[in-house]
Amino acid sequence: MIKLSHLTKCFNALVAVNDVCLEVTPGELFGFLGPNGAGKTTTIRIMAGLIQPSSGSAVIDSWDIARNPVAAKRITGFIPDRPYLYGKLTAQEFLRFISGLYQVPPEDTEGRIAQLLELFNLTPWAGELIEGFSHGMKQRLVMSSALIHKPRVLIVDEPMVGLDPAGVKLVKRIFRGLCEAGVTVFMSTHTLEIAEEMCDRIGIIQDGRLIAVGNIKELKEMSGAVGKRLEEIFFKLTGAEDLGELVETLRP
Amino acid sequence: MNQVVCLLYPKIIGFKNRLSIRDRSVIIKLTLGITLGLCFWAGIFAVFYRVLVYLKGIEALGDILAAKLLSMVFITFLSLLIFSNIITALSAFFMSEELQLIISSPVDGASLYVTKLLETMVNSSWMVLLFSLPVFLSYGIAYQQHIPYYCVLIGTMLPFIIIGAVLGTGIALGLTLVFPAKRIKDIMILLSLILGIALYCLFRYVQPEKLVDPESFRTVVEYFASIEAPTSAFRRSQWATDAIAALIFRGHDGALFNLLLLWSTGLAGMVLLQRLFGKVYFEAWTKSQEASSAKLTRHTVVKRMLDRVLTRLTPSSRAIVTKDLYCFMRDSSQWSQLLVLSAIIFIYLYNFSVLPLEKSPFPTIYLQNFISFLNLGLAGFTLAAVAVRFAFPAISIEGESFWIIKAAPLDLRRFMWCKFWLNFVFLLVLAEGLIICSNYLLRVGSFMMLVSTITIALMTFGITSLSIGCGAVYPRFDVENKAQIPTGFGGLIYMILAIVFIGMVIVLEAGPVYMVLMAQLRRTSLQTIQWIEIIISFAAVAAINVFVFYLPMKIGIRKLSVLEKY
Repeated sequence: MIKLSHLTKCFNALVAVNDVCLEVTPGELFGFLGPNGAGKTTTIRIMAGLIQPSSGSAVIDSWDIARNPVAAKRITGFIPDRPYLYGKLTAQEFLRFISGLYQVPPEDTEGRIAQLLELFNLTPWAGELIEGFSHGMKQRLVMSSALIHKPRVLIVDEPMVGLDPAGVKLVKRIFRGLCEAGVTVFMSTHTLEIAEEMCDRIGIIQDGRLIAVGNIKELKEMSGAVGKRLEEIFFKLTGAEDLGELVETLRP
Repeated sequence: MNQVVCLLYPKIIGFKNRLSIRDRSVIIKLTLGITLGLCFWAGIFAVFYRVLVYLKGIEALGDILAAKLLSMVFITFLSLLIFSNIITALSAFFMSEELQLIISSPVDGASLYVTKLLETMVNSSWMVLLFSLPVFLSYGIAYQQHIPYYCVLIGTMLPFIIIGAVLGTGIALGLTLVFPAKRIKDIMILLSLILGIALYCLFRYVQPEKLVDPESFRTVVEYFASIEAPTSAFRRSQWATDAIAALIFRGHDGALFNLLLLWSTGLAGMVLLQRLFGKVYFEAWTKSQEASSAKLTRHTVVKRMLDRVLTRLTPSSRAIVTKDLYCFMRDSSQWSQLLVLSAIIFIYLYNFSVLPLEKSPFPTIYLQNFISFLNLGLAGFTLAAVAVRFAFPAISIEGESFWIIKAAPLDLRRFMWCKFWLNFVFLLVLAEGLIICSNYLLRVGSFMMLVSTITIALMTFGITSLSIGCGAVYPRFDVENKAQIPTGFGGLIYMILAIVFIGMVIVLEAGPVYMVLMAQLRRTSLQTIQWIEIIISFAAVAAINVFVFYLPMKIGIRKLSVLEKY
């Protein structure tokens, strides 16, 4: 469903994404991990059609995002890490606007809007201007908008930031439910517990290179950290130092 | 005091860093800004100096008039300072992004108050101070003043701006207790705009050109009545006037007393305001976090009306146009500019209605058509200026939400053309309205009416395309205040290109129009060579229009497609 082939992105001298090759199958929930500045968001922005790769390709259900952006975007839902929205629209108007952009049939629009607002507990604020929403409410609204056209691929950058525990639980259930219905979810996150709990497979990126891909069992074998949790596997693979001594120095 | 220095540190360093930017566009903008500022500064000085030299020459009455003028200058400055301080104080004390960080940190109230008052004072007073300098300099030179005058001037201006800041901030603090800060800022911007427009219209309506027409003043009594300036309602500005006037006209008598009045009032005001700040600030800050609502545009009638008008558009185009219209109507920084536009149109048409064509030594028909042709250029320029305010920001107003457009299955060509047609319709109505109404007031012939309406319609295509295209080439997604979008480098480039375009069209049409008009006036027919010249000129005009219509949009679309930073 998603195929990244030798994907590379350079910003002048900096190689943000370096020759990444990866395949994600239909109905799979794929976790994309990596330290800050590793290239997660850049990869995701290429997949969402926000920026162009320097070389290589990102193919969504046989559509190359650089060559056929409109066709690829039509079946994709994108949830960014920072929910910048039109503050002067109400939640309902914003969803109507997104329905128009994704060409949701007009007879389905209002029903779907009501359904999604209800699902994400936004019905009481449907007629309020977005500029008055909290970060969590904006995040839930972005998620509603990403689902309004019933996408077959969902690309998500840090979905849990700003959500309350109920919101996190809801999102986990929705993502799992979508995968069971055949939707492919590509999710970047820093929350290792969530990745461990939810993802079928995990890819770890560091300095722009994909250094490991597999399910938890395969990653444990790869890192030689059998029996340990994803956190230890992640630190072992990314080469992060033990911070124990440094933490000691911060004690008051 | 340490905390005040610490709180001011980011501002000072930020300002220093901004100055050290070596970006080419910043340097060009800065150079241009300084040049324009200096020209304006020199203009103010020249006008005031000439007026004061003239007044000085009038026995007895001259000094009174000069003092009255000084009083009016101070009243104007104080009004400007208060208005400007209210708006700046609302931003500095309630809406600045750094406040979350500062209020959550262990900063004491007094330090916060001093820092924010200084910030408000500097941000809202520097321009008034800068442009007051040529006025006071002209007084100093015209009345041959020496060092004591300039010392008293500094001693007067400092407490004067403190008083302005204290009054403005005090009013802002009081208002935020009743209304949310965001709403007050909108209201204040709107009020200042209406005030400015009203003054402008009033000034034009009283026809100041009559002041130099001796026939308008038959008696001295009438003349005295017409110059009677309003008596000072603001005592604070009168003290400032008296301090300066005492030096110029009365040889120091009373200067010190008025200076003391100003300083004591300013400093007492600061202390009283600090007490008020301590009592009400936190409550007002809490209130300022409330959100605003949009009642009118959420009304089902508005929605139904829009649905009906836009029914023929494709779903994605309809979505973009509806979103743009809603955002425009709900953002006071955008729609309030319509008021400025209305004032421009009013003055524009009014000027044509009072043109004394019958007093001219030239034949009326010739003059009417000549002015109508010049009007074409003027209307084109007005259109370009309106487009820089409304059409040029069309791409940038997407702001940081532009990711939604980029991530959507939407061809950017469609997005751009939606923006084009939405603005084109609005600009075409304005352009044709201006041309038809002014030609009607000038009572021009059918040939000139036809040429003007067709030319302005063609130019509207080009101007809209230029503004949208330049807006896409130089987008400013990160600008917080939408009204600032046209003030960037892209806005400047657009205006230069638009003026060149209008100039080329006018120059190319001037010859043929002159030939036809002269033939009509002399009642002769055109020769073959003249016909050829006319056809070539109009063909060149058509070619330029097609080129300017097509190219900027194409470049804009290409630029937006590869844009990665937003």
